[in-house]
Amino acid sequence: MIGKGISRILIFTVLTAISTSLAAQVRMVKGKVTTLEDGKSVEMPGVNVIVVGTAKGTTTDIDGSFSIELAASDKELSFSFIGYKMKNVVVGDQTVINVSLETDTQQLEEVVVVGYGVQKKTDITGSTANVKGDELYKQPVLTATQALQGKVAGVQIISSGQPGTSPQIRVRGVSTALGGTAALYDVDGVLTDDISNINTADIVDMNVLKDASAAAIYGSRGANGVVIITTKKGVSGKLLINYNNNIGIRQAANLVEMANSSEYKNYVQAATGTIPPSSGYNTDWYKTILRNAWQQNHNISISGGSEKSTFLVNVGYLTDEGIVVDNDFKRLTLRLNQDFKLNDIFKIGLQSSYTNSVNQNGFGNIDIDEDGNIGSVYNDAYRAAPIIANIVGGKYGNTSTYQNVGNPLLDIKNNSVKVVADRLQGSTYLEAKPLSWLTIRTSIGADWRNSLNRAYNYKFLADESTFLVAGGNQYNTRSNLNVKNSQSLQWVWNNIATANKKFGLHDLTLMVGTTAEEYHFTSFSASRKDVPADQSLWYIGVGDANSSQNDGSGDAWARNSYLARFNYSYDGKYLLTATIRSDGSSRLPKQNRWQQYPSVGIAWVASRESFMQNQNIFDLLKLRASFGIVGNDRIPTDAFTQTVALNKPYPFNGSASTATNGAQINQIKDPNIKWETTEEIDFALEFSSLQSKLSGEINYYDKTVKNALINVPIPRTVGDIDGVILTNAASIQNRGLEILINWKDKVNSDFSYSIGGNVTFNTNKVVALNGGQAIRGGYIGASQGFTTYTDNGLAIGSFYVLKTLGVFNSDADAAAYTDTNGKMIQPSAKAGDFRYQDVNNDGIIDDNDRVLAGSYQPKAYYGVNLTANYKSWDFSLSIYGNAGNQVYNGKRAVRVKGEDNIEKALVYNRWTSSGRSQTQPAANTGNQLASDYFVESGSFVRINNLTVGYTFNSERLKRFRVRSMRVYATSQNLLTLKDYSGFTSELPGDPLNSGIELSAYPTTRTIAVGLNVSF
Amino acid sequence: MKTNQVNAREMKTNILLRVTFVIALLSSVFYSCSDNFLDVPVQGGVSTASDPDLASKLVTGVYYSLLQGSSFGDGDIHGFAFISVTSIMSDDADKGSTAGDQAVPVGDLDNFTISPTNKFAETLWSGHYNSIGAANQALSALSKATSITPALRNQLTGEVKFIRAYLYFNLVRMYGAVPLVLRVPKDSQDANTEPSFQTRIAATIVYDSIARDLQYAINNLPLKSQSSTGHANKGAAQTLLAKVYMYQKKWDQVKLLTDEVINSNQYQLLPNYANLWRQESNNNIESIFEIQTGAFNNANLGPDIYTVSQGPRVGGLGGWDDLGWGFNNPSTSLLSAYEVGDLRKDATVIAIDNSGTHKGTVLWDGFRIPSSDSVQNLYYNYKAYTSKEKEKYANKDDKNRPKNIPILRYADVLLMNAEAALQPSINQPAIALSNINKIRQRAGLTAKGAVTINDVWQERHIELAMEHDRFWDLVRQGRAGQVLRASGKTNFVDGKHELLPIPNSQILLSGNKLTQNTGY
Repeated sequence: MIGKGISRILIFTVLTAISTSLAAQVRMVKGKVTTLEDGKSVEMPGVNVIVVGTAKGTTTDIDGSFSIELAASDKELSFSFIGYKMKNVVVGDQTVINVSLETDTQQLEEVVVVGYGVQKKTDITGSTANVKGDELYKQPVLTATQALQGKVAGVQIISSGQPGTSPQIRVRGVSTALGGTAALYDVDGVLTDDISNINTADIVDMNVLKDASAAAIYGSRGANGVVIITTKKGVSGKLLINYNNNIGIRQAANLVEMANSSEYKNYVQAATGTIPPSSGYNTDWYKTILRNAWQQNHNISISGGSEKSTFLVNVGYLTDEGIVVDNDFKRLTLRLNQDFKLNDIFKIGLQSSYTNSVNQNGFGNIDIDEDGNIGSVYNDAYRAAPIIANIVGGKYGNTSTYQNVGNPLLDIKNNSVKVVADRLQGSTYLEAKPLSWLTIRTSIGADWRNSLNRAYNYKFLADESTFLVAGGNQYNTRSNLNVKNSQSLQWVWNNIATANKKFGLHDLTLMVGTTAEEYHFTSFSASRKDVPADQSLWYIGVGDANSSQNDGSGDAWARNSYLARFNYSYDGKYLLTATIRSDGSSRLPKQNRWQQYPSVGIAWVASRESFMQNQNIFDLLKLRASFGIVGNDRIPTDAFTQTVALNKPYPFNGSASTATNGAQINQIKDPNIKWETTEEIDFALEFSSLQSKLSGEINYYDKTVKNALINVPIPRTVGDIDGVILTNAASIQNRGLEILINWKDKVNSDFSYSIGGNVTFNTNKVVALNGGQAIRGGYIGASQGFTTYTDNGLAIGSFYVLKTLGVFNSDADAAAYTDTNGKMIQPSAKAGDFRYQDVNNDGIIDDNDRVLAGSYQPKAYYGVNLTANYKSWDFSLSIYGNAGNQVYNGKRAVRVKGEDNIEKALVYNRWTSSGRSQTQPAANTGNQLASDYFVESGSFVRINNLTVGYTFNSERLKRFRVRSMRVYATSQNLLTLKDYSGFTSELPGDPLNSGIELSAYPTTRTIAVGLNVSF
Repeated sequence: MKTNQVNAREMKTNILLRVTFVIALLSSVFYSCSDNFLDVPVQGGVSTASDPDLASKLVTGVYYSLLQGSSFGDGDIHGFAFISVTSIMSDDADKGSTAGDQAVPVGDLDNFTISPTNKFAETLWSGHYNSIGAANQALSALSKATSITPALRNQLTGEVKFIRAYLYFNLVRMYGAVPLVLRVPKDSQDANTEPSFQTRIAATIVYDSIARDLQYAINNLPLKSQSSTGHANKGAAQTLLAKVYMYQKKWDQVKLLTDEVINSNQYQLLPNYANLWRQESNNNIESIFEIQTGAFNNANLGPDIYTVSQGPRVGGLGGWDDLGWGFNNPSTSLLSAYEVGDLRKDATVIAIDNSGTHKGTVLWDGFRIPSSDSVQNLYYNYKAYTSKEKEKYANKDDKNRPKNIPILRYADVLLMNAEAALQPSINQPAIALSNINKIRQRAGLTAKGAVTINDVWQERHIELAMEHDRFWDLVRQGRAGQVLRASGKTNFVDGKHELLPIPNSQILLSGNKLTQNTGY
């Protein structure tokens, strides 16, 4: 019911009624528009009421009633609403006209936004998926991207538990080797990579363009798929006030249990032969740094409008403490969307949002890598010995003096980092319809961002005022304040003309347009030491001027495009879509700057053929095929320009004076960088059956990225400081199958339910490496070296490690493991060590003995979504899972010392002379070689969301002037079943180094209650 | 007729509108069309074209590259990895710190259980080639620079070639045959596919190239007294070339070059040996070439972790704010090599008080290190000590206070000269004796009546102890295995461990075009 109501409002929003100023009044007609729903008469808001033969009209308000003034010449009223048969009524002498509209199954068609335009869903020839805003909003998550998880076939979302961060999204596999695998977001015409500023409550729907033919209209930015977000608008009629909230608690979903003090002592003694010192402490370091965190989310929206204008104002406020102590994230969002009808020809409108977020000690900002690994804190918590106190009487246990590992709690407490970000995003348009078949629209969008990052590092010494015992190397001798400000402005100007004409059964639409886009970024930072610890003194000017440092940088790029799309439909049976976009980008060298991206898609709606009219198996049967080329230009702005690295000084006169400044040329650049282009073929079958109770879709895709930009390792001898050059050097193929099945049924007026499932099978492989050299990645620690390998015929970033053949049961066993000459293959091995396979039979174990051990990319990922409504109760369950992916348990590999703590399970499962495990080595001091021991199955299945709601009887609410009210309880990540022994097998990362768990933020479980009320 | 009028007006409006829109659309198209819209220069990216002083800045950048100390990262020349392979691997020093600390990769180097993936062997390789790349870029810019005089061009070229020679000298001593890269790659294609970048060249040919670079430097650089502090000069080039020839046993040239340095009257021994490693003696009368450290942008400037890695480390009972991580401990075999009364022992070794009296150890600047029950190790390298209170630093609280690293000093010249003088082909024992006695005199030792080659080696061992010379010196003398095994490093294999492994990652990257050293 609710869903239908909202979709009605939505449809109404898309096609707002046309009205004119009124002529001299003659008489007044009023009435009510209703429709029959399950045998009950239901009021219809938003129905267009037009005086036939004029442009005069109105729309029905929220309870379906209307009133209109008619001139003497006005004879007939026409009532129309999308999805319903139009009804004309001759007025005659009537002053009250009540109308009941009938649904039109022929017309009951969704309109979806397809990029620079809209299209009927049945007319689409490419591969798209649509998710409604209310389905997203009911999940207590920060971004709509997270809420998409499991809802859409072909779209893999890799979640992150960190407050204020966006999950990684991969559409149809990993199709680039660079960091830029993220999909493009189009928020009301503004293109962006980051939607953490968008309040999910503001979203009407998200439309994912998955294949190249659908995304080709976005040209060079479409290779990773496009997510189009449409935000809500007001509707004409009564003022509508909505309030939603949810309040909940978050906790780490899966923790790794570490050894306690006695287990630790037992293990360390076995590993090193030394008994660790006695202590009365038994510290659980994860418990020390983690907590249960509160989160809350409130939204209040006011919308309404007159015949000439509509508006929507929404204020959202979200707080999320984060599960790591000291963390705190707050976000305020404001939205104002307005549309004005100036006259019969012109319309203008505005979509705007302002976001302010404050992230206090978000680990997104300190000691973190771009993949979301929070550096030393988690590593330290894994390694820190339980026999050391965390904090006693305000003094920290000194882990560093015992084992050279920082106290994890102090790692957190010694910093205070606050990031305040403001973002203004919006677009405004002017639309004209000078002819009935022509729409011209110009829109300007802008995205302004400002962020202020203030990081303070407290002064503390390795003495007894900070620690229980002095010593060690965890200290900060001078306090430090670092302030960084960055600002960016991105604007985009779109000019689009759309012509639509019908000639009999032929329906033609032609869209042509241009876009221009520019981006500017500047940042500066300053730091000084010896700023006192009092927060009111945290300003640069307070610090020691003799310690001041500053820095600044900038970035800028521009894009310019021409685009066209042609749609042809014959009787809704034969469909053709052809698009072309020509893109120019300043990020590429002049000779390679422009590129054309064409696409073509065809579809046959078989169910509309006359020979299908007498069957009652299929309500819809549609076959489609498409081909398209898209690109990816997400490379650094200076990728092809040889630049000089500045500030390379040398103090010729020693310490007596300041150094002479110098410079270096330390990067080799490829001056001929090109776009990467993705070619994709897509075949699909869509159907619905049994009066649309059963529907489904099967998609096959085959996409190949050619000239993929990749950081190719080059010999160190050429003197490139990072040892890699960015160049077009790879071709990567993704082939896959997406299957989508939905069943919905209304058993009776009290009970309805739906069940939907989607599954995506994807295989990824590198089909050509132009440089010819395989790429190693995933470097871990001192003893492991690389762990991933990318070469022809393999999935990108496959794990490539030694193969273990069990554990030596005795020293004699190890001595007996010899090559053909009788030489020991592992000369330093002893009982309890791994036996590694000497793959190349050269008598030594080295990198040449590595073998493939799977990939981080799932062979399949799937979602199951259930909903049920019984009387006033609603229930929904969504399940998400991955299968066939591998995870590298890298955090086990960061054990490098005998005193490092060990996972509880490994204390008990380890090889012992009596236990003789063949899968776990004996107690050891770490520094294990990279082997399949660290590679574990990453398959998991999770209850992503479980929600139970109750909607109050609206009749009873009327006397409180409440229109509707629903309460619900929801849980995100209630339960995960997984094989993996670590925190999470959902590990974001760049394509060459993904799936390695070093210090990932654990996925979190949220339990929340919420309220939706409208007035 | 009224309707017609309305229609006519509407039509006019429509036409007007249409025209307006076509114009608006076209103008936007033209605006977008203007090609320079896409000519956005790289923001803040100084290019090779935009700076006339670039060539001389790039020369400074070459010197800067000598400060690389990212031993666990992208490249090391004078950081922890350098300390490990020159000192910890030798009989002068033990790994130090706690037993487990850096067992990989430092412990492996100390114990000669080195694997081809040893991180330090890899970062030394990349560090040196990073620096060679910077040198080649600078040479290329110098050859094209128009804004400097030919004399200055030749001098700067000489300085860069001196550094390039030093880098290859280190490489050839660490790895033997190495790729000889003397030019800038043309582009990425060239960098990635040109075989010479991945082909090892025989050590003798690398040595020839080093000699050519140094000969250019000798011909084009001024004497120390005529050149600016810290820059490579003629004496430095002559000394380095003499040392290079010594490693090739070209004794006539060693003698000739060291004689020239001695006779140039630019250098003397500093009277007090202990002062050599104090900040006040930076670039002293004995100094021939040293790595300069200091300050930049209100921060310390020097190789990463060079001093902090060697600083005395808290242990046992603790209770004091220590000086560093405690690596590179002078070994008992070094300590026992000193003659009684040698002043150099106390100048080289910080001996922790192990007497049980808890007097502690008071250093030259008055700093007291507690006795052994609060310190991790018994001996530390005094030559890496920095004084927080008595020396000047941009940030004295930084435990990694930068310290100049002497690379060539006059005592080395005297020792090389002495060793050459004793060669049968030269046979001037009196000169050798005189040189050795100058050194012994400063060390507070009695003069010798005669010297053998073993005496010179012993003097060299003690005089240059903990100065990154010992391991390579033993290899040069052909007795590395014998001496190191005797000092307890029983894993040392002759014919293998004289050299480091070629980084395995680079061999794999080259598709085995790079070959591995024997035994690895």
